[in-house]
Formats: sequence, structure tokens, C-alpha cells
Amino acid sequence: MKTPRHLLAATVLAAGSLFLSGCDKPAESSSPATESTPAPASTPAADSASAPAANAPADEEAVADTGEPKVLNLFCWSEYVPQAVIDAFTKQTGIRVNVENYSSNEEMYAKLLSGGKYDLIQPSEYAVEALIEAGQLRPLDKSAIPNLKNIDPEFLDMPFDPDNKYSVPWMAGPIGIVVNTELVQDDIKGYKDVFQEKFRDKIVILDDAREIVSWAFETLDIPINDVTDENLAKAKDLLAQWLPLVKVYDSDSPKTALLNGDVALGVVWNGEGAILTAEDEKFKWIIPEEGTHIFVDSLAIPKSAEHPKNAELFINFILRPKISKMISDEFPYLNPNLAARELLDPDALANPASYPSKEELDRMDTFKNIGDKASDIDDLVTTLKVQ
Amino acid sequence: MAVVAEAAPVTGGSSHERRPGWGAWLFLAPLLLWLILFVVVPSVLLVVYGFCERDGLGQVVFNFTWENYVRAFEWKWLKILLDSIWYAFLTTIICMAVGYPAAFYIGRAPERFRNLLLMLVMIPFWTSFLIRTYAWITILSNNGFFNTALISMGMIERPIEMMYTPFAVVLGLVYNFLPFMILPIYTSVEKLDNALVEAAYDLGASPVRAFSRVIIPLTRPGIAAGALLVFVPAIAMFAITTLMGGGTNPTIGEVIQNQFFRAQNRPFGAALGTLLLVMFFASLWFMHARKREA
Repeated sequence: MKTPRHLLAATVLAAGSLFLSGCDKPAESSSPATESTPAPASTPAADSASAPAANAPADEEAVADTGEPKVLNLFCWSEYVPQAVIDAFTKQTGIRVNVENYSSNEEMYAKLLSGGKYDLIQPSEYAVEALIEAGQLRPLDKSAIPNLKNIDPEFLDMPFDPDNKYSVPWMAGPIGIVVNTELVQDDIKGYKDVFQEKFRDKIVILDDAREIVSWAFETLDIPINDVTDENLAKAKDLLAQWLPLVKVYDSDSPKTALLNGDVALGVVWNGEGAILTAEDEKFKWIIPEEGTHIFVDSLAIPKSAEHPKNAELFINFILRPKISKMISDEFPYLNPNLAARELLDPDALANPASYPSKEELDRMDTFKNIGDKASDIDDLVTTLKVQ
Repeated sequence: MAVVAEAAPVTGGSSHERRPGWGAWLFLAPLLLWLILFVVVPSVLLVVYGFCERDGLGQVVFNFTWENYVRAFEWKWLKILLDSIWYAFLTTIICMAVGYPAAFYIGRAPERFRNLLLMLVMIPFWTSFLIRTYAWITILSNNGFFNTALISMGMIERPIEMMYTPFAVVLGLVYNFLPFMILPIYTSVEKLDNALVEAAYDLGASPVRAFSRVIIPLTRPGIAAGALLVFVPAIAMFAITTLMGGGTNPTIGEVIQNQFFRAQNRPFGAALGTLLLVMFFASLWFMHARKREA
């Protein structure tokens, strides 16, 4: 009897393509740079030497050799670090960057604390606070990050990390509402206008429990960090009315459902809002009148990092004005890098989603670490979502 | 394991049951080791985690509690499980309806075309399933290819909502699992002895009767293997269902995955996973018992 051997091979191929990539996000990796051996740290002045910068354009700063293997394991939010920036870093330093994405701070903790080997992470303010409290971050060597001077002092020395001992701001921004004015004629002012019966199945929101609960708190006039059982019970009643109206939960790229016309309005990150409003005039950005809060996402090095010096090199690299501008061009969040903002297009700076007014900013609170209560928030939202 | 055994050619009716000698055990050792490391140990961990608590950062704390298993039996989670089984069942039926004729045709095609046709089944699967799923999003959206085409032809006035619906979820599952149905059925069809079909005709069977009484029973091992290969993974699939379903009406796979990461509740995720595992064992045992009776 003939055994169809090609069939076995075919099945294996199919199984491979389906299951090997079984994670929920494609893990991208930068173009594999030629594997170079760890740099010889023979010269005593290796730390301040500027060897690889020889063929770099004149306006770029010298890049020191860290003496570590030429690898950096970057664990970052999806849709947040442009591939062009990673490629530029690899080209200048010879360091290969392995990128893995997450789509919530909670997902990041879960993977980091269960033994993930990452050199650089991108936690939001409350996550930085939680990780410092848990002793999971490594103090930064500021002498390796001179470009920190480019950051707006407003974003330095913030309560979640006094004196920036552990973290350097990446991007910031509020959460707001995006409306497709071709599909929605109403004047939308705040959350209560979004979550109406007539918009059932026309709404996209972030898939992030802490965010969702904070919108209910803002609507109910409860301070966003005042997470008590009593306040959660109040929020629960409101969310039980809101969440059944939602069509799509997406933290990675909520703009997709809006652009494709599958939903008409949404509550999204400001960078996503800025992309939409810049793409098409029909999209309008609204800061909810009930109030919103500002997130500050930072770069930080986990205690378990195997290549902390490469990580510091990367932090300093992205703080360069030109590189930071590249990030803003692709993901137009609020850039705390003042030197980079000087290089930006006037149009980009005028985008109200990227850069809220001073008055708006003054009204915005930030999330604080709420410890054990985080799990209560997750349970509340998970339970309501499935009803 | 049982799947492979069923799909293998059946030579004669009697099975030779013998106790394996030490040499056989030596040959089996790599497989046993693999099973212990990657099946038994993780399953035991899953069951144990289900009885644990967690701390503020979502780390598992070894304090005994029944809470997770009690919660897993709440109606809302059971309903999600039933929904997922229903999606998987629909997927299997549709895959069978679409896959059987395709597999039959490929299996009966002249030998020189067979490899080519099989290649055509396989080629799309050289691309990551995530990319192929994203492609479906651009086809099915309200502003997507399908709706735009229908509207410009004047066939509909407003777009038909397809993305982020159960329809999209089942479509995504069918598309991704179809080869797992086609390939095992193809194996059975290829082995089908044409003389038996001709004999049926010679004895006066109509084409329908020949198909239902001769061809179907002879290809049943392929159908059964295909059904298992589609149904079982389809229940727990999460990436496709999240992308195509939008996170509303989640499947059990999505809920479990979210418990492990986003919701930081590994113990509860483990409890739900254990429930799924028990269900699989129960259904396999049930099928096995029925086969014994038959």
C-alpha cells in the first residue's frame, strides 16, 4: 500500500503555521543584524569611546560601546515603537533588538513576573509605581542618559518616580472620545453621550479594565484613585448599562474599527485619536466633559535585565530630538521631549488630540498604584463584559 | 493518539494484543518523556493552580481555596463554554460540508494532478494565520472590499455588518481549520478501492446508495479524524476569535487567555482550563466506550 508521505509533510506545515504563531500578537523582530561577538572591552576608555559612530552622519551623537552582548530584549506596547527607530538603533550600534508586545500593563506584569527575560519595558505611571514598590526595577545610571535634559521638566520628578531614579518618560496623553461625524450627527460632549442606547453596537473602547472603571468614576464624580468597594459597586451599576452597548474591545489599534466604518465612535488613547483626526476631517476628538486623566508611559529596566547597559543606550538614543521626532511622526502622542517638539510640523503640534491645552492638562489626574484592588477591578469588568 | 491510530490503514479485523518487552519500552521512552514533560506536568500544574489564590500583582499564592472552581461553575462561564462548543460544532460541520467534496475530488483526480491540488490547499498556510485573519478584516468591514463592491453594484444600500459578529468568528475558524479536515479525508479517499464502488454499481446500487453505503463507510476513519482535528482545537482557539469577534461574545479560549494575562487571575484561568480538560477527557472516554459497544 502506498503511503502518502507528502501528506504528512503538508499536515505538519499546516499545523506549524497555525500553532507555532499561537500568541495573540505577532512578535516582530528587527531585521537580523549580523551577529557580532561581544565587543572586546580591552581599551580602558571603552565606556566613553565612540568607535561605531565613525560612519554615522555628523549631526548624530557618538554611541558608546556597552561591552554587553549585542542584544536588547524590548517588551513594549503594541503600536508604540516605530520599526524605523529600532532599525536605526540596530544600524548605529549593531545591537539586535528583539521586540515583544503587550496591550495592557497587567499583561506586562504577568509576563515579566513569571520569568520573562526583558531588558527594557514600557510601564505606565501606576505600573512604574507598583514595580518600584515590588522591587522589580533597576536604578538607572543617569550618566549614561545625558539626553534626559531634553525632557520637559513638567514630566520629570513625577510622584510615581521621584527624581526619575528608575524611569524615563516615553510618551504621554489623555484618553478621549473620537466621533465619526459622518455617522453621528449628535453633539457628543462626554461619556454619557457616547454610551446611549442609540449607539448600541457602534462603539469601540479600550480593552483595559482600569481605564473602563475610571471613566465610570469620572462620570460619577468619584476621584479615579479612590478605589473602594463602595465606589466600585456604584461604578458597577453604571458599567452594567454601558458595556452591553460596546461592539469592539481593542487596546492595540482601536482606530482600525473606526477607519473601517465598523463603529461610529469610541473611547481611545490620544495618539490613536490624533492619527484619525489627521487622516480624515470627519473624525473629531473630544475631551470628555466629565473629566479624563493623563497617562505617562515610561521606559524602565527590570531588575532581571540581562543587558541593562544596552537598555540605557536605547533610552538615550530615543531621547535624541531627531529620533524622538520619528516616534511622534508615526505615533502622535504627547511628546514630553521639548527638543523634539521644536522639530515637529506645526500641524502636528496643533493637533488637539496630541497636545491638549494647558487648562485641559491642569484638570487631568494620573493613575496611582492601587495594589490588591487591581484584581477587584479586573473581576468587575471581566464579569460585566461576558453578560 | 487515538486519532492517528484510526487514520492508519486497518489490516484485518483482529488486533494482536501483546505485552511490550523492555525493548519496546526503550523505544517508547522519548515519547513517554515528552508526554510527561509537556502534557502531564502542565496539566497537574493547571489543576493545582486552580486551588490557589493570587496577590496584587497577579502572582500565584499557594493558599488553598475552592473559590475558583466554584466560580467556574457559574452560569455565565458555562454559557461561554456552551457557546464555544456550538461555534466549534458549526465549524466542524461546515468544514465537513466544504472539505469532503474537495478532498474527494483531489483523491480521485489523476495522480499527476493530486500533488498540485494538495499544494493549492496548503499554499495559503505558509503565511501566518494572523496575517490571513487581518486580510479577512479588510474584506468583511463595513468599508471593506465586499461591502464596497456590493454597494457600487447597487445591490445593497447600506453595508451588511459582518465584522465582529458570530458569523465572522465562525468564518475565521472554518477558513483556518479547513485543511485539517481535507487532508485526513483525502488520505481515506486515496486508499478507497475503486473495485468496491464498481461492485456496488454492478449490484444495482444507485449513485446515492453507493455513496452512502459504500463510499462514506469506507472513508469514515478520515472523516472522524478530520472532525476531531477541527473540533477540539476550535473550542479553545482565541486569537482568531478575538480579532474577528471584537472581544464581545468571547469564547472560552479568549476568557482563559485573558485570565492569565490581562486580568491577572491565573488561578481562575487555571480552574476554567481544568474544566475544559475534564470535559475533553469525559468526551473521549464516552466515545471510546461507545466504540467498545459497537
